[in-house]
Amino acid sequence: MESEQQEQIEHAVIVLNEKLLGTVLGILFGSMLFLATNFLILKGGEHVGPHLALLSVFFPGYRVTFIGSLIGFLYMFILGFIIGIVIGAVYNKIVRA
Amino acid sequence: MTARIPPVSCSPGTSHADDTIPPQLLRAIAPLHGTAMGVAWAVVCGGLLALATLCLLLRGPTPLEFDLLSQFFWGYRVSVGGIFIGLLWGAGVGFVLGYGFVLIRNGAMWIWLTTVRSRTEMEQYSDFLDRL
Repeated sequence: MESEQQEQIEHAVIVLNEKLLGTVLGILFGSMLFLATNFLILKGGEHVGPHLALLSVFFPGYRVTFIGSLIGFLYMFILGFIIGIVIGAVYNKIVRA
Repeated sequence: MTARIPPVSCSPGTSHADDTIPPQLLRAIAPLHGTAMGVAWAVVCGGLLALATLCLLLRGPTPLEFDLLSQFFWGYRVSVGGIFIGLLWGAGVGFVLGYGFVLIRNGAMWIWLTTVRSRTEMEQYSDFLDRL
């Protein structure tokens, strides 16, 4: 009985929930940029976040301001969501094959 | 996350419920597929780097010095050829990251399961001498 259970564990493979993974990654990515932007705003200084502001090359409209952090959250949420969906879809396709 | 549970043969005379692990439990402890996760991460990382390079090419000169990635990714440049080199480098690094993540996650799960199992066995046989 024990060996059968052992075998069951060895042969079982987790299948990912694509939408859930996408939502989790989206919130994680979005929060990271939101927090990073607001951290730099609170830190202040002469030039606030000159390097982070370069993200506007990829994310039009993003700036190192509070409104910019909200825009950045949206962009990163979408990016994270797409990454999660792609990872889930590719992983599940290979696992189910 | 759900677990793909393989069919388990039962010997005659034993109840099915006795020798199978409940799906809910199996879902919690089943391992991830290393190669599948590696390929999935490879697609994402390779695709992202190629897309970023293409985006920079289409936009023209920007203050972003993406060429600095060549410090890590040999031969990479923001050029048409760089899109393909970036795709390959991204895919390679992505595969290692995905596979490594699964290796660590499954290893940690195996250690945890072994610890739980050892503890349970110790508890089971703790009164062994009393029964002699």
